Amino acid sequence: MTKDVFTFLVGGKAGEGTKKAGLTAGRLFTGRGLHVFLMDDYMSLIRGGHNFSVISTTSSPISSHYMAADLVVALDQRSYDNHRGHLAKDGVMVYNADVVKDAEGIGLPLTSLAKTFPNPSLRIGVGTIAVLAAAIGITGDGLEALVRAEYPRDIENNIAYARAVHDAVPQELHGRFTLPEGDEARAFLTGNEAIALGAVAGGLDLYVAYPMTPASSILHYLAAHEEELGITTMHAESELAVINLAVGAASVGARTMVGTSGGGFALMEEGLSLAGMAEVPMLTVLSQRPGPATGVPTYTLQGDLLFALHYGHGEFPRIVASPATVGEAFSVTAELLDLSWRFQTPAVLLTEKHLSESRMTTELALDAAPEATGIMHAEGEYARYRLTEDGISPLLFPPTTELVKWSSYEHDERGVTTEAPNAIMSMQEKRVRKNKALVAHMQRMRTVNVYGDKGPIILTYGSTTMSVLEALRAGGLEAIVVQPLYLEPFPWWELKRFADERIVVVEQSATGQFARLVSERGGLVPRAVVTLFDGRPFDPHELADELRGCL
Amino acid sequence: MDDLGTGAENTWCPGCANFGILNATKKAVKKLEERGVGRDRLLMSAGIGCHAKMFDYLALSGLYSLHGRSIATAQGMKLANPDLKVITFVGDGDSLGEGLAHLMFAAKRNADITVILHDNGVYALTTGQFSPLACKGFKGPSTPRGSIEEPFNPLTLMLEAGATFVARGFPGRQDHLVDLMVAAVEHEGFAVIDVLQSSITFHDTFKEHNGLVDELDHIPDTIDDARVLAVRRDRLPIGIIYKVQRPVYHTELYGDANPVARRKPRGERLAAIRTLITPRKK
Repeated sequence: MTKDVFTFLVGGKAGEGTKKAGLTAGRLFTGRGLHVFLMDDYMSLIRGGHNFSVISTTSSPISSHYMAADLVVALDQRSYDNHRGHLAKDGVMVYNADVVKDAEGIGLPLTSLAKTFPNPSLRIGVGTIAVLAAAIGITGDGLEALVRAEYPRDIENNIAYARAVHDAVPQELHGRFTLPEGDEARAFLTGNEAIALGAVAGGLDLYVAYPMTPASSILHYLAAHEEELGITTMHAESELAVINLAVGAASVGARTMVGTSGGGFALMEEGLSLAGMAEVPMLTVLSQRPGPATGVPTYTLQGDLLFALHYGHGEFPRIVASPATVGEAFSVTAELLDLSWRFQTPAVLLTEKHLSESRMTTELALDAAPEATGIMHAEGEYARYRLTEDGISPLLFPPTTELVKWSSYEHDERGVTTEAPNAIMSMQEKRVRKNKALVAHMQRMRTVNVYGDKGPIILTYGSTTMSVLEALRAGGLEAIVVQPLYLEPFPWWELKRFADERIVVVEQSATGQFARLVSERGGLVPRAVVTLFDGRPFDPHELADELRGCL
Repeated sequence: MDDLGTGAENTWCPGCANFGILNATKKAVKKLEERGVGRDRLLMSAGIGCHAKMFDYLALSGLYSLHGRSIATAQGMKLANPDLKVITFVGDGDSLGEGLAHLMFAAKRNADITVILHDNGVYALTTGQFSPLACKGFKGPSTPRGSIEEPFNPLTLMLEAGATFVARGFPGRQDHLVDLMVAAVEHEGFAVIDVLQSSITFHDTFKEHNGLVDELDHIPDTIDDARVLAVRRDRLPIGIIYKVQRPVYHTELYGDANPVARRKPRGERLAAIRTLITPRKK
């Protein structure tokens, strides 16, 4: 049967290779020229538990996975129990018959077949790919080529095992599904990879971080590719070290980014306030997971929105943007680095686990990415905090015979500490003028995305925008989706035209922080707020049902 | 007039040993210039406390950091542009209390920076509380019955952490301190000088120290010999207590690269990104 959207779900214990199998499936679909969205759901543990990957693919752009799967491969009892309710109409459940009991569907002895090879537990993920291959009509030879490309370690045993599983798949399942027609192979990236590459395109010199899920893969990706990308990465001893290393590096001219999640961001705030006072350009990525405190490390939420908008003590210009898609994550990262340099103030990219770690086919607007540049001192005696009309003082970096003094204390124009009332006033006013210049600049930028032109207004932001767009497609609903890309300075000038419209807000928080923001800062009063805060992203069908009830 | 001053009003207590450290630093900067380290590439950072006013009084470029964070700031400067030499001035409450981890890790990774520790055993600017280096029994506003904690020994701490240049200096032996500073900046790797500062208002130990210091006539050969000197209390040896060569952090990290002075051109970066994101041929 030909599916409009085909969804494959593979579940098992951590360590059984489900994530690798999901990535392999995604690459297989990508190679066919299809659009793909992959979501990894995993627990905060090394072995055991329940992990799954769900991959949806179709011939047109897709912005969410679907939980209703056409083909589920369950490697253990828990995967079977959790996902038997997720089958799409005419969907097929394939389970590991060695460990799953009293099950409906197609049982295959995946473990016993693996036991005829060395290291059976490491091999079982390959078997799930063999099942998928059979179900979408890939022959044994086609499967062999796929395994060769994706599972090169102990290759001959992997091929033999994959063929054994492929042969064991009953005839009724072979070629059951026909994938949609694809056109061209696209880049297939996670949000974190796009953030990393966006920063590099924007001129990044240095990335400093302390590992914290779901931001860690930015560090891993940049560390793995630092030579070819021409950047430096450092894993420092704490988030306090990270932010202060970054401030030091930026003060001598390095275009610097750091990344963390809520707990690490809380530690970094002291340094972000320093960057605000000393007027240090730098970019911080805050990738959210459910809090408070340690919370739920490997899941998603938008619970830190209001926290993120008010980072650091004291009054200084703040810049916050939250991208919707992987492609936008790339572009807005470069843009934020540039804004931070233009206005010499710290910027924050706010995202969530769902965008950071989900993978989708995308295009990156490489050539459009701005390269971060600041206004440089030309000649004459230098003063780091020269009072100017727009509040922006030219930059100068060592080596130089001029004196370049950056300071955490309130300071005079040369950067020397002051406690004089008129000097304090003039520096406070300088920072206020800089914020006005920033707002004026942003009023000439694209700060809000609008999708669609008919129907009621849905206001949403961040990766939830993707869920909303896919829900509208899945449900055949019509609406205008308004997504403020920039959240600070808040683009009220773009939103005021929606003031009299019927508005529904969709966000992933328990208390409706975004609804509060658009109401307080944008003057928009939502008539309904759709929220989800169990750590999981919205499913398009479920969200469509909710929207149908309130649009 | 080239006095390396900024014209800022000096607010240290009259007679403060910080004047001695400031003057020694100015002499060291001039000596370094004669030896080829120009002040155009000699940078400073400072924490927060009486020591940190060095930043306002000394005509060197740099960043006046936060309490405890100056050593992280200095490492960032060095990492971004390894052509620079960075001196960071820290207090004992600052770098052994609030910022202890940064001090330990900078030594551990042999970051190529110089740390001047203004060691007065007290939080002076915040009116005399006991510090991580205050002796047991120290009475201050937060410990009116006397501190119940043993102090750190900054020298043994730095030896254990992996510092490759560990020294002690005394502002009362000005020329000796100047030479130590020059040697520390010229040392390739993490250099720390524990400067016996004293606080004339809250913890005046100048006279006591003056009677106890002995200038070392040679650098001990082994770390065990260094430890013996570091724990002495009957006398206070001053000079280089330990010095060894070990690969420095930034060259271990990126060889002879320089993140800001030798950037990969935009075109090459974009080409590298294109290669990375292009799907593999099936």
